[in-house]
Amino acid sequence: MAQGWEMQHDESVVVIGQDVGANGGVFRATAGLQRRFGERRVQDTPLAEATISGMAVGMAAHGLKPVAEIQFMGFMYPALDQIVNHMSRMRTRTRGRLSCPVVMRMPHGGGIHAPEHHSESTEAMLCHIPGIRVVCPSSPARAYGLLLAAIRDPDPVMFLEPVRLYRAMRQEVADDGRALPLDAAFTLRAGSDVTIVTWGAMTIETLRAAALLDTQGVSAEVIDPATLSPLDDAAILASVAKTGRLVIVHEGARNVGVGAEIAALVAERGLYDLQAPIRRVTGFDTVMPLFKLEYDYIPCVQRIVDAVRLTLAE
Amino acid sequence: MATFKLPDLGEGLAEAQIVEWHVKVGDRVAVDQPMVSVETAKALVEVPAPFSGIVCALHGAAGDIVATGAALIDFDDGTVVGSLPATGGEEFIEAATIGVNRDAAPTRGRAVPTARALARHLRVDLDGLAGSGRDGLITLDDVLRSARLPTAPAAPPKLAAPAGGILQPLRGARRWMSRSMTLAREQTALSTVCDDADIQAWRQPGGYMLRLMRALVRACRAEPALNAWYDPAEDSRVIFEHIDLAVAVDTPAGLFVPVIRNVEAKSPQELAAALLAHKQAAHRRGIAPEDLRDFTLMLSNYGTLAGRYATPQVMPPAVAILGAGKVRRDAVVAGEAIEAHLCMPLSLSFDHRCVTGGEACRFLAAVIADMQAPE
Repeated sequence: MAQGWEMQHDESVVVIGQDVGANGGVFRATAGLQRRFGERRVQDTPLAEATISGMAVGMAAHGLKPVAEIQFMGFMYPALDQIVNHMSRMRTRTRGRLSCPVVMRMPHGGGIHAPEHHSESTEAMLCHIPGIRVVCPSSPARAYGLLLAAIRDPDPVMFLEPVRLYRAMRQEVADDGRALPLDAAFTLRAGSDVTIVTWGAMTIETLRAAALLDTQGVSAEVIDPATLSPLDDAAILASVAKTGRLVIVHEGARNVGVGAEIAALVAERGLYDLQAPIRRVTGFDTVMPLFKLEYDYIPCVQRIVDAVRLTLAE
Repeated sequence: MATFKLPDLGEGLAEAQIVEWHVKVGDRVAVDQPMVSVETAKALVEVPAPFSGIVCALHGAAGDIVATGAALIDFDDGTVVGSLPATGGEEFIEAATIGVNRDAAPTRGRAVPTARALARHLRVDLDGLAGSGRDGLITLDDVLRSARLPTAPAAPPKLAAPAGGILQPLRGARRWMSRSMTLAREQTALSTVCDDADIQAWRQPGGYMLRLMRALVRACRAEPALNAWYDPAEDSRVIFEHIDLAVAVDTPAGLFVPVIRNVEAKSPQELAAALLAHKQAAHRRGIAPEDLRDFTLMLSNYGTLAGRYATPQVMPPAVAILGAGKVRRDAVVAGEAIEAHLCMPLSLSFDHRCVTGGEACRFLAAVIADMQAPE
């Protein structure tokens, strides 16, 4: 919807990717766009992620604003060469003469019984690359507003779309062209006893855990950074200053995950506000299991509640 | 999502009646799989699935009339990989706000982690505590100040030495005595009980140390609770069968307390030899470290110099020390008369955390009984 709006209002916006045209994209995110805007602006590409990202760089250099779809985040690795070596550094390499207004859309995470290499959450790899933004919305409305902002932003944005949220719940979203701010965290639930930072599809379990904790007299504040790189440091620190406790929940593996960066941020700049050690609830340090076991890997409500309880017991 | 509409079944008919559904919502169907039986005016027809997918909705029940071109069945063809659950009726109910509400100013004290840990240990409430660090940060000192500690001894004022004195830093045994006595005094609940042993009946005068050691051995048999170690951290005591007796030895270099092992098993000759060896070693400051450790009971015969009663200091983890004062002739009521008898004053100190007054007095009584025997 956001792509449609922006294509309607900005002729430089083009959509490229495998099956985005006639088929409408692996998750139907681009359904109908080719019929509306034609094959010049909605281009099917071969199954070649390096080509897709390379095309995007070239189009951006010539004044277009490409929105490229990678069918699953697990297929982004051939595209990383273009992302790291060209997309992220076009602005610095040309001393500001060129920017690279590309959006790379990728389905993110597990939970839909897809093969396991389709289901991993490797946002930490992208967050480590300077020069690109990494955005991960957690509701249809935020997906709309943030995707608009990502397309309008003059610099490259990796736009991670949690697959579980494509159909998890219904939300009416006004197609009004109003963008949401990048680099700003969202408070999904205000609270006073503990801060839980989470993003993407893990907001489902986290908000359920927060509701459960509420019935037990624990007031949890749920913060969704939405932009994972650069992080909204101030919002996270302000929340921790308020609650004094921090639990981080993410679907990806624990080792050197984005949770570690958030923990380091709070340790460096919010340590004196902490009343208890920071805790992380994450995927395990192993490859995503085959799909029958994927919900044993993805943090569940109970693990989040337990971590909060342990934090409060300190 | 894709909607399959009732096709013209090839007979130019405007409608059909549903006879029976072969699929239900949630089923995964494959191309050409029969989905539904419909009856037209002319025939019973099986309608096959036009493509693969998951059934989301069936439009109409058995018996319903469906117009040609009307929606018959909805498929979720959501993804080529994996399965997307059909959208639930659940609405995204959320009230996300951008950023974090910063109005709720923290009332809690900001504290360095070690201060927070110390505060928990000392049960100090940090809320509302004014910190002395930068921006009101609570430091270790702030916690210590507001903790109800037993008043820490004020650092002794630096002595302004009057002219004429000679500065002597405490070294070696003297320094060790300062430390261990301070610690012992802080830790123990010291009580002392005093009495005299009437030794007039002794056949041979002298040899006090050997008699005292024998009396201690017998007293330990009568009341073992004083030959023990006390561990306040574990709230436990260890009562020993053997007696390792520490004996105070005064030397110009300071106080030494060497230990004679297994006093209960040694002959008087062996004890005398051990005592002599330890005394000599102490005077030449050659006592092995292991001979200064792990005693179960202490004895101080300060009466060789002077003094009647005293309050000897128990050294933890041991729980008792016997002090023997100067033997003197004293007026003693013997029958109806007053007689001059040789008497030895005894002072028994014990750690009242671990030893009862009754145990201490029974012990002292046993010491006296043995000391008063003629030999």
